[in-house]
Amino acid sequence: MTKGKYLLLPAALAAACLLSLAAGPAGLSPEIIWNLRLPRTLAALAVGAGLGLAGALFQGVLKNPLSDPYILGTSAGATAAAVLCFIAGVDRDSPLFFLAVFTGAFGDTFLSYWLARLAGRLSDASLVLAGVAVSAFLTALVMLTLTAARERSFSLFYFVLGGLYMARPGVLIASGVIIAVCGGLALVRWRALDAMSLGAQSAYHLGVSPEKERILFFVFACAATSAAVALGGTIGFVGLMTPHIVRLLTGPSSRTLVPASAIGGAALLAAADAAGRSLFAPAEIPAGVVMALAGAPFFMWLLWRSARGRT
Amino acid sequence: MPALKVEGLTFSYGGAPLISGMSFALLPGDFMCVLGPNGSGKSTLLRLITGFQGGASGSVRIGGQEVKGLDPDRLARLLAYVPSETFTPYDFSVREAVLLGRTARAGLWRGYSAADQEAADRALEETGIARLAGRSINTLSTGERQLAFIAQALAQETGVLLLDEPTSHLDLRYKAAVLDLLKRLTVRGMAVAAVLHEPALARLGCNKALLFRGGGGYSFGSAAEMLSPGALAAVYGIPPESPLIPR
Repeated sequence: MTKGKYLLLPAALAAACLLSLAAGPAGLSPEIIWNLRLPRTLAALAVGAGLGLAGALFQGVLKNPLSDPYILGTSAGATAAAVLCFIAGVDRDSPLFFLAVFTGAFGDTFLSYWLARLAGRLSDASLVLAGVAVSAFLTALVMLTLTAARERSFSLFYFVLGGLYMARPGVLIASGVIIAVCGGLALVRWRALDAMSLGAQSAYHLGVSPEKERILFFVFACAATSAAVALGGTIGFVGLMTPHIVRLLTGPSSRTLVPASAIGGAALLAAADAAGRSLFAPAEIPAGVVMALAGAPFFMWLLWRSARGRT
Repeated sequence: MPALKVEGLTFSYGGAPLISGMSFALLPGDFMCVLGPNGSGKSTLLRLITGFQGGASGSVRIGGQEVKGLDPDRLARLLAYVPSETFTPYDFSVREAVLLGRTARAGLWRGYSAADQEAADRALEETGIARLAGRSINTLSTGERQLAFIAQALAQETGVLLLDEPTSHLDLRYKAAVLDLLKRLTVRGMAVAAVLHEPALARLGCNKALLFRGGGGYSFGSAAEMLSPGALAAVYGIPPESPLIPR
């Protein structure tokens, strides 16, 4: 990779931060920037980094370019657990909340993985199908809960849609730390992740235990996703798109892909959130909706490309 | 001491035994072909030897070391395996892919050492694909790709090399090139076992042969006696005078 390509990512990140701090209907007063947009920008950066990181880890450890926390059901599991916590009155910056969200995320990811394996050989498509099934069920449960708890559901509704409105400092710091730790631990194992992206059988014969690495990287990716969901609700496609875009700059090796996906995800979501705030101002589109508008066509293109690659 | 020693290996996927009481040994420099009908257990045997497929009884030793219970990173320094399916959606360069052969020796997080780079260079030279080092593995021809993954296995610097159908889908030129390469590896002391589909290829340098008869039966011996037209005809269920049987 050339030096110019290395500089592209930080430049994109800086541009996205500026855009996020400046964009919005309320103008450019220092109070607005400091009190409203800065926390919101930081939240977008943390959530984007967590999801981009999780996407890179899932795509590598599963050798599946169609995987990300949204498609595998990780986000849906985390969201369902978070909604249950709201209903049960668990405080959003308590450790119990994070633990519950992580349990939901991890349990769901393994459920999707296990369902896909039941179908025989683990294929890209069976994993997507299993993730869709698990997500659909959990999303229905969440909707049921929202309808049942109508008097409290307004803020929950925006949480489920994926927005970055009320980032509490405690949650922001906790999520940021979790994502940074997961990123660091994953980066230390970059070579094992590279071996896994050649497939479990190759990884085993290169000297890596596929079962162990699968669990470790699922834990890192699910913890990063949980931290992102705790902060910003369900936001899809950041984890899917970012590694694909970043690979064009860094190549496929996890040594550069893992940190670059975190940076790229942060830039992508900060830009998407800024766009959501300004495009239809004064109305505000949740960042999750912006990402779905951009990400779903991207996913279709990926499907089309992978179908063409096999023939 | 044998490079690879299999004793009393028995395995089934749940029904009748696929492999039953199999024993054989390879010395350093031996080149064994594994032949037999589809579904008779050839590929399974290789995965049982490496321990990737568990659930077998019996013993597999590599250089005297029992494989059962061995950590993958210890195993990868004793034995290398080239799978029949090497698809990956990611565009690793040939050099990156070959360097991954150093995973067990390089540890997890640090970069590659000078020794790792030299091992990769040697593997690329030996397989004759040094000129392709910078190319993406997904832009190679089937034959070049096979050589790249053999180079990855060679970078592991092991005494034993197993290959699952290394010549399928290759044209005749690459089939000959792969067999020639494997023959050269045995000359410098490696023990090589390859699952082959065409008995004629076994004539290109194999000195040992393992024939699967189906239903758990097998025979092992020198290539000269195992590859006689009569023996092959019985294994594949075709007449000995068929042009498919090499003579």
